[in-house]
Amino acid sequence: MKALPRLASWLQVAPVALILVLFFGLPMLVVVTVSFFDYGQGRLYPTFIFDNYVEIFSSSVTLRLYLSSLKFALIVWAVTLLIGFNIAYFLVFHVRTLLWQIGLFLLCTVPFWTSNIIRMISWIPFLGRNGIFNQTLEGAGITSQPLEFLLFSDFAVIVAYVHLFTLFMVVPIFNSMARIDRSLIEAAYDAGAGPWRIFSEIILPLSKTGIALGSIFVITLVMGDFFVVKTMSGGQSASVVSALSNEISAIQYPPAAANAMILVAIVTLMVSGILRLVDIRKELIA
Amino acid sequence: MPSGTRNGEIRIVGVTKRFGDMAAVSDLSLTIPDKAYCCLLGPSGCGKTTILRMIAGHETPTTGEIRIGGEPVVGLTPVQRGTAMMFQSYALFPHRSVLDNVAFSLKLRGASKAERHRQARELLAKVRMERFADRLPVQLSGGQQQRVALARALITNPRVLLLDEPLSALDEYLRLRMRGELRRVQKELGITFIHVTHTQLEAIAVADLVVVMAQGRIEQAASAREIFTAPRTAYVARFMGGQNVLSGTVESVADEHAIVVDEHGASFSTAVIGEVPVRGSRLVGSVRRDRISVSKAQGCAAASDKVNSLLGEVHAIEYQGSYVKVTIERPTGEGFVANVLDVDFFRGPLDIGDSVLARWSARDVLILEGAADAGEASMDEAGGVLI
Repeated sequence: MKALPRLASWLQVAPVALILVLFFGLPMLVVVTVSFFDYGQGRLYPTFIFDNYVEIFSSSVTLRLYLSSLKFALIVWAVTLLIGFNIAYFLVFHVRTLLWQIGLFLLCTVPFWTSNIIRMISWIPFLGRNGIFNQTLEGAGITSQPLEFLLFSDFAVIVAYVHLFTLFMVVPIFNSMARIDRSLIEAAYDAGAGPWRIFSEIILPLSKTGIALGSIFVITLVMGDFFVVKTMSGGQSASVVSALSNEISAIQYPPAAANAMILVAIVTLMVSGILRLVDIRKELIA
Repeated sequence: MPSGTRNGEIRIVGVTKRFGDMAAVSDLSLTIPDKAYCCLLGPSGCGKTTILRMIAGHETPTTGEIRIGGEPVVGLTPVQRGTAMMFQSYALFPHRSVLDNVAFSLKLRGASKAERHRQARELLAKVRMERFADRLPVQLSGGQQQRVALARALITNPRVLLLDEPLSALDEYLRLRMRGELRRVQKELGITFIHVTHTQLEAIAVADLVVVMAQGRIEQAASAREIFTAPRTAYVARFMGGQNVLSGTVESVADEHAIVVDEHGASFSTAVIGEVPVRGSRLVGSVRRDRISVSKAQGCAAASDKVNSLLGEVHAIEYQGSYVKVTIERPTGEGFVANVLDVDFFRGPLDIGDSVLARWSARDVLILEGAADAGEASMDEAGGVLI
């Protein structure tokens, strides 16, 4: 009788455990193993050496790439947080009817009906040297010559990231904000809080879990990207993953694996840092 | 005290509140004396919460004036009004400890941490919650949360405390205990309490002034005893539940007594003071349930011809401890209820289905104002009559 419920709970965790082991655990194990291999002439030598790691840590390029990726992550995080928080705030506290809320929320997801690549590439004719934006500025007499920094620059990379990832910030913040009981706001007003104190004492702290979840999404997405950086910077900027992808296309799997392991470690540190600041468990349970 | 005065008298003058096309409160006037415990009583949707929120400053009247302690307060914040509100769901801040919840408004006023915590602890002691100061609201039971909400509302030293259905989330036992507690706190602090409820017994148990409302208007505002024993309208009589409502046509007036006959032939008589009703006009009256004697009708149908009596069949018998509630079904119309003292009942117990004769005396009949059917429909929403 006692074994039965035990078996039942094992069966209940089995599907997700199986998926995690097959598609996450095993591949990670392979990558860890390969990161200690030797390589040359397109071949792998199953050894156990630390050369790949030593090389990464002794190269000045590594630091530069990480700083570049972190810079993008930080800027994009700040911009998406600002925009995402405001959109969520507007949807939750200014849109009065549920129908409008759902409608506007769906409107936010419209760009996601096309692929990431198309959405990103569509910025190119807009921001380009003779693009729509520059032509409009010149036509309006605001500028006399095209602005060069708009495309194939860090600016373009950030614009594309923000466009791609803001929704990942909106959704979790919207979620936690929508759960704030309106009577809490009235209670704060009753106690003498003005709009700013209501925001800082009630709304912001109660949106923290959503902010944390959104931040995790955006930061991991930016840290793991190479395609946007490559396309939108016109090859002028690079990220950690672009180095990694270069190594893969050169069939240098062991250094790529070592690079991947370091990236995983660093992103894990960043995420656990966020989790240490904010307890997101209650958001996931509730 | 930003208002500079401790006077908690509330004067509502001609207040109307519309939400879109619907008027939640229409042209309502009411004066609540300083230091009174006032209950706004009525079924859901009668506008009682809207009035409370307008006094609190969470809602602005469409037209009309509200004065607290003589000063007009429309447009002022709750703090400027010197009011504090206790919310129905308590609205405790889930991310703050009990102590910080209570100290919140002092924090907004810039009090130092030590000072605001000292005052908060003092108030928590008053509601016997000092042991729970460091807990989060989710770690408290409903009754404990309510005490914290009370402490939080009182820390600003308000002259008026507004309570929005404060007991509705509690179980029966706690409800009875807390309503006594609220009354005690109100007396102790000597401030005006306005308490919104849809429970008749709760209102008459605590309030100095009971305001019975229906559809955005006041049906009657009076002391609990007066509301219960002398309802002004058929609506109040039905809603409070201690009365049977009778109606009929005036048959004769003699010796300052009117005799009224209803459509089933039952009749009642009542003393007529002042204006003498015209023969043939409609008259509505009520008779208290506990002033009715019930006996088995032993074949003497003729007895029902007598004034102030009616014949019927026992439909339900509910033992209530000190009395027995006997519901008598008549051929048509609403049930007639007699609350018979337990000793009287068990002297000659009745059974369901028995034919009975109910009798009462003319001096227990009250004349009511307004239509006879007032409140019949709304009784269903109010969840029936309690007493």
